[in-house]
Amino acid sequence: MVGYVCKYTPVEIIEAFGEKPVRIESGCKSYERAEALLHTNTCSFVKGVLENIIENNIEEVILTSCCDSIKRLYDVLKERLKFIYILDLPRKKDTFAVDVFYKEIIKFIDAYKAFKNKGFAIENFLKILEDKSSFRKMQEPSESIAILGARLKDDVVEKIKNSCSVNIINFTCTGEDRIFNIESEDNLLKGYAASLLNLTPCMRMAEDRSKFFNKDFKGIIYNTIKFCDYYSYEYAEMKSQFNIPFLKIETDYTDSNSGQILTRIAAFFEATDIKKMEQKKAKKGYFAGIDSGSTSTNVVIIDENKNIISYSIIPTGPKALESAFKAFEIALNNAGIKEKDITSIVATGYGRVSIPFADKMVTEITCHGKGAFFIDNRVRTVIDIGGQDSKVIRLDESGNVIDFVMNDKCSAGTGRFLEVMSRTLGISINEMAKVHAEVKENITITSMCTVFAESEVISLIAQNKDQRDIIHALNKSVASKAVSLVDRIGRKGKYMMTGGVAKNQGVVSAIESKLGEKLVIPAEPQIIGALGAALIAFEGTNG
Amino acid sequence: MDVVRFYSNIIKRNMDKPEKINKLINFGLTTAYYYVSIFKDKRGPNSLHYLTKYCIKSIKDSLENPQNSAWVNIFSPCEFLIALDIKPLFIEAYSSFMSGFFIEDYLIDTAESRGIANTLCSYHKTFIGANELKILKKPEFMLTTSSICDANVPTFRYLSKKQNVPLYIIDVPYKYSKEAVAYVKNQLIEMVENLEEVFKRKLDLDKLREVVKIENKTRTLINKYLNYLKEKTLLVPMTFEMYMLFASHIFIGSKEMLKFYEMLLDDIKNAPPRSGKSIFFVHLLPIFEKNFQDYFNFSNKFHIAGSDLNFDYLDEIDEKDPFRGIAEKLILNTFNGEMERKVTRIRELIEKIKPDGIIQFCHLGCKQSIGGTFIIKDLATKMGIPFLYLDGDCVDKRNNQVGQNRTRLEAFLEML
Ligand code: SF4
Ligand code: SF4
Ligand code: SF4
Repeated sequence: MVGYVCKYTPVEIIEAFGEKPVRIESGCKSYERAEALLHTNTCSFVKGVLENIIENNIEEVILTSCCDSIKRLYDVLKERLKFIYILDLPRKKDTFAVDVFYKEIIKFIDAYKAFKNKGFAIENFLKILEDKSSFRKMQEPSESIAILGARLKDDVVEKIKNSCSVNIINFTCTGEDRIFNIESEDNLLKGYAASLLNLTPCMRMAEDRSKFFNKDFKGIIYNTIKFCDYYSYEYAEMKSQFNIPFLKIETDYTDSNSGQILTRIAAFFEATDIKKMEQKKAKKGYFAGIDSGSTSTNVVIIDENKNIISYSIIPTGPKALESAFKAFEIALNNAGIKEKDITSIVATGYGRVSIPFADKMVTEITCHGKGAFFIDNRVRTVIDIGGQDSKVIRLDESGNVIDFVMNDKCSAGTGRFLEVMSRTLGISINEMAKVHAEVKENITITSMCTVFAESEVISLIAQNKDQRDIIHALNKSVASKAVSLVDRIGRKGKYMMTGGVAKNQGVVSAIESKLGEKLVIPAEPQIIGALGAALIAFEGTNG
Repeated sequence: MDVVRFYSNIIKRNMDKPEKINKLINFGLTTAYYYVSIFKDKRGPNSLHYLTKYCIKSIKDSLENPQNSAWVNIFSPCEFLIALDIKPLFIEAYSSFMSGFFIEDYLIDTAESRGIANTLCSYHKTFIGANELKILKKPEFMLTTSSICDANVPTFRYLSKKQNVPLYIIDVPYKYSKEAVAYVKNQLIEMVENLEEVFKRKLDLDKLREVVKIENKTRTLINKYLNYLKEKTLLVPMTFEMYMLFASHIFIGSKEMLKFYEMLLDDIKNAPPRSGKSIFFVHLLPIFEKNFQDYFNFSNKFHIAGSDLNFDYLDEIDEKDPFRGIAEKLILNTFNGEMERKVTRIRELIEKIKPDGIIQFCHLGCKQSIGGTFIIKDLATKMGIPFLYLDGDCVDKRNNQVGQNRTRLEAFLEML
């Protein structure tokens, strides 16, 4: 088996050698071994590949001179593997470039021949090419969703395909139909080199890609990878140009991350009507929404007139399901009804998939939007700051979600951030939420990262700064993170703030002063997602 | 420097008026130019004084004459521009100056708010931010190489689309071969054709040969200078080593830079014998980092033994076929290709200079460099020289954990 990562790899040559080319994926739990060899700030995909090579004892690898991270991966692997080759891949495709690549392929064949001590049969190669070129299916852009940007893991692509009924075209490094234009047999390898260079250009190529992505797609999912900067440029350009639904995701190539990604994609499909919500016949009774979040589990029960008759908020324990049961039970008790009285249950939040007694699952994005609009139909922007994540949701005049952003996988600007800081300051989180106004010194915390900010706070304490001023600085820091999320989808009032942090007066007023507008704070900001879920349960059965 | 802070506040307050910012920046550069011309820093050698003036002037010139200027990256073959009398503005230097004016944070935030990755190198983010805010007048041409880092091609492509200015990308292959040389040579020819068309003038081959001749002469001086570093030291600030990039890269081949190296050679010949500890820097120097400023600027206790970036190509260029010669120079640069090349060069330099320690300042976002940190560390261990790497940012001061870095840097220096 020969491991590879790049779509420009001459895999057909490897096959002609009678070897099996395997694209190395990079799902792993930690980068412990990789980070002993590569600096932490290397692209997470490359670190994952390195982990994978070590873990699975992959002995033969072929790379291309794709990017700085891959080049350094080569340097690190060079003395460690039985066979490793890096192909010099030109960024252009003129005849000089083809010459360079063609020579590289020949050199690779020679190196591999020498290593394996076996010959390379050109007939095998020709046969493989003919087989691959014989079928080709066209996909209609207007009926498809395009995945663009950085490589996306196969399993995530699969899951996306399964979660909607439209066509998915994967334009990233992991998805290309290989079509070869081999005219003359006399210079088969050169024609092959030219065909490879003529694949739909990836971001790294010199050519301008915009002409390849017409505007006919039903939607675009744009993937970026942490510490890979290539794609942000194209994203920055595209997002302002296109009028079609556009979703940006950032993957970090660890296993833990795909749940969040799928949530966002599902919400995207819901918001863009790509996946129609199934509708049931009307029934009367009570309706429950369960929001199983990473920090708290909240339940709301409404009646057939959409009155909230009870709710519960409990911290999420290690088992999401148990917490969901408990919260549901409390809410039922508060309402004085039994489970059989409930007509329909909708689950939302991170833990929604693990709640078997729910009739339906909807993402927290849609639910938050629904709940917020229900409480105040002037709201166009929902700022939700929870324990571990934050998001901003844009609603239209009818309360539909039309855009949203979530924070990157990092606790900066969330409840968790404030919690860590309250511990550093040695006061309770409630106390921290109370203090506001009367600022003596306007301190600014520069680091966004929780760890770095913590050391800043420690040094502020050491400098004997007033505790209230430090708290004020922390509130400003959370507020600026939130407002920068708002800015990513553009400002539009009225704003509603939801989630646990909305109870923190200091943060609320810091956000208000940045936005220059009062926020709507619901009486119980933590239950808006669950309320939305309950409303969807109601509509699903009555609509 | 409170004057600078005051000035930076004025700039920041006017960010919505690009015309005004443009003028303010030109004014700042002019002031800086007259300041260094009149108040010569007595602590430093003559060559430092000369080079500082030249660098400020070159940036000023290209900003003030956009109709005769081209934006380039530091590895662009500017020999052609010099021969055609076009003023290059190299974007890394511009960003560095903006950090000197204390406005890099604003520019970086602007770039990020448009969707540019926050993990991108701040030399590029700062420049993109300035471009987004339209405080840069558009040049006539843009030129980049694909070396040394991933940021170049996409940044320039982005800039050229935004400004609607023609761009030429020189793709520099990873490996050296005769096909690779032909590939680059052909691109250089194409690029010159584009330049001739845009600037409406013809390249005089003899003039190009002359530039290459001066470049070769300059390199002989660079090699001579290297031989002195073992025994002599100049008291200089970190900026000197960074300003030297103007001389060893963008403007090499100009008479002025030849003169600079002549002066430098004089200065080092007359410098006192080496005393104190001398530190070799891998890649970049953090000129705005407080600890480093305290420890290294004009210090005779710890001084700067050089950076490999100023010695990334030390050979002659073929004067008969400058297109081919320059193509070879681009491919064989020690920062291009396998890490092994860079390691070999650093080993040579260390053997020549014999520094007491090596520091790699891992500039956030610079994947090409940080990816090789542990390989350089291995080299240092094998050569028995103490090695330290620190994370931080050469442009965006917010990314420097001054407190944490202080302990590590001090412990390292104590160790020597
Ligand atoms: S970005 Fe391009 S060169 Fe790099 S791995 Fe993907 S397809 Fe290959
Ligand atoms: S994700 Fe980006 S940085 Fe990582 S290997 Fe691919 S192109 Fe390189
Ligand atoms: S510091 Fe690194 S990433 Fe930034 S421009 Fe230089 S080589 Fe590129």
